[in-house]
Amino acid sequence: MAIGLDVMLTAAVVLALSCAGWLFGPKPRHEGDAEMPYETGEVPIEPAVDRMAVPYYRFAVLFVVFDVDLAFLLPWALNRRSVDLPQMLTMSAFVALVAFMLAYFWRKGALECR
Amino acid sequence: MNPLLQFPFVGLGPQLCLGAGLLAALAAGMSQRLPRGFLRAVVLFVLASSTLLAGLTVPGAYGPLIRIDGLGVSWQFLFYLGAVPYALSLAEDEVPAALALGSVLGMALLAVSGNLLMLFIGLEFMSLPAYLLVSRGGGRSGQAEEAAVKYFFAGGLAGALFLLGMALYYAATKSLALVGAAGTMAEAGVALMGVAALFKLGAVPLHFWLPDAYEAASPELAGLMSTSMKSAGLLLLLRLLALTPSSEFAACLPALGALTAVVGAISALRQERLQRLLAYSSIAHAGNLVLGAGAWAAQGALPAGTAPLFFYLASYAFMSNGAFAFLRASGIGSRAELKGYALRAPLKAALFAALLLALAGIPPTAGFLAKLLIFWEAVKAGLWAPVAGAGLAALLSLGYYLGLIRDMYFEESRAPSKTPIEVSAAFSGVVWACAVPAAVLGLAPWLVGGLAGWLAP
Repeated sequence: MAIGLDVMLTAAVVLALSCAGWLFGPKPRHEGDAEMPYETGEVPIEPAVDRMAVPYYRFAVLFVVFDVDLAFLLPWALNRRSVDLPQMLTMSAFVALVAFMLAYFWRKGALECR
Repeated sequence: MNPLLQFPFVGLGPQLCLGAGLLAALAAGMSQRLPRGFLRAVVLFVLASSTLLAGLTVPGAYGPLIRIDGLGVSWQFLFYLGAVPYALSLAEDEVPAALALGSVLGMALLAVSGNLLMLFIGLEFMSLPAYLLVSRGGGRSGQAEEAAVKYFFAGGLAGALFLLGMALYYAATKSLALVGAAGTMAEAGVALMGVAALFKLGAVPLHFWLPDAYEAASPELAGLMSTSMKSAGLLLLLRLLALTPSSEFAACLPALGALTAVVGAISALRQERLQRLLAYSSIAHAGNLVLGAGAWAAQGALPAGTAPLFFYLASYAFMSNGAFAFLRASGIGSRAELKGYALRAPLKAALFAALLLALAGIPPTAGFLAKLLIFWEAVKAGLWAPVAGAGLAALLSLGYYLGLIRDMYFEESRAPSKTPIEVSAAFSGVVWACAVPAAVLGLAPWLVGGLAGWLAP
C-alpha cells in the first residue's frame, strides 16, 4: 500500500512540475529575427541541425565495444603479477574472444573508410 | 588441485558447445567459399551435441551463479528441439546462424542460472539476437524494421522492470541467490521480475509486440520464437514463482492466463494473414501456460509438478513448428490463398489439418492431452473460474482452427496470387516430422508420469 501511495505521489509531482512551466511561464512571442540562431550578428550559413552520415554510427558502435573491452583489461593489466593461473586463463579467453571479433570485423570490411 | 577442475566445464557442456558453435559459424563466414549446407550442418551438429551434453550433466551448484537441476536440464531439451527447423532453413549467410545460436545460448544460460543476475544475463542474451533476427525478416519493405523496433523497445522496458524488481528483492533479502523469501518488498520485487517473464511469454497486456514480430519474421523464425523463446519465458516465470509461491502475484496469474487466452482467441478470429493468426493463437496458448504456472504455484511450486507444463511445451513445439513449417512448405500467406488447398495438395492439407486439430485440442491429439493436464492441475488447485475462462477460449479457438480446415476442404479454390513466402519443398519433411507426433502423442499419457520423476532434482 505504501508503494502504491509513493507511486501516486511521484506521478502527481512529475505532472505538476511539467505543467507549471506551461501554466505560469511567459507566453512566447514570435519576433522573426530574434528566433534565428545566434552567430555573433552574422547571417547563418547553413542550418545548425543537419543530417548525419550513417557510417558514423557503425564506428561509434565499434568504439563502444572495444572501449568496454579496454575497461575490463586495464584493472587486470595493472594487477597481473598477483594473478594465478585460472584468472590468467579466464582473461586470456576474454582477450582471445575480442581478438576474434576484431578479426571478423576486419575481414568483413567494417574497418574501411569510404 | 588442478585449477582447470575448478571451472564448471562438466556442468556447462551444452553452453560451451553452443558458444563454440557460434564462433565456428562466424569463422565460417570469414572464409570466401563454403561448401553448400555447411552452416546448416554445423548448427544442427551443435544442437545435437548440446542435447547430448545436457543429458550428461550432473546436478549441483557450481559457484554462486550456476545451479544445475533436473528442471533446468529438461527445459534445455525444449530449447534445442524447438530450434531444429530454424537450423534446417539456414542458407549461406552466417549472420542468422550466429544470431540464432546466440539466442539459444542465452536460453541455455537461463536454464542453468542459480542467481538473479544470471537470469537477467540469460534473458537479455536471448532477446538481443531475437530483435536483430526479426529485423532481418522478409516481407513488405519497412515492416520488419518496424516490428523489430517495437519488439526492442518493449523488451528493453521489460529488462528495466526486471532490474528494478531485482533491486527490490536484494533490498529485502540482501542476496541475489535463488532462494525463497517472504515479505512485501520481496514479493513486489518478484512481481516486477515476473512482469518481464510475462512479456516474453506474450501475456496480456504485454502482448502488443508479438503479432507484428511473428508476422514480419520468416516462418521458421516465428517457429523458433514461438517454441524456444516461449519455453524460456515460462522457465523464467517458474524460477521466479519458486521464490514466492504464495504471493499476490502468483494468485493473479490464473486470471491473467484466462484473460490472455480469451483475448488471443478473439483476436485470431479476425485475422486474414496466416502468420498473424498463428501469432494470436500463440498468445492464446501462452495464456494456458500462465494459467498452468499459477496452478503450479498454488500447489506449492514443487519441481516434479512442472510435468504438465513440460508436456504442454513439448507438444506445442511440435504443433507450432509444424504449422509454421507448413507455411514455408506450401508458400501460403493468407486465408484466401488457403481456399480449396485440399484439392491442390491433398497430402499436405491433411498434415496441416492434423496440426490444426492438435492446436485446437481435439482428442486424441497431443494438444488435447496437454490442455487436459493443465486444466486438471488448475482444478486441483481450486481455480474454477480461470479454467472456465480458458475453456471458453479453447471453444472460441475452434472457430478459427476449424475455419481453416473448412477453408481448405470445403471452399472454392481461387487462382493462387503471388505470395511473399517462397516455397521450400524440403520443409514438407519437417511438416511430416511435426504433424505425426502432434497427432499421436495424445495416445501416450504414461509419458507424463515418467516426466515427473525426471524433473525432480
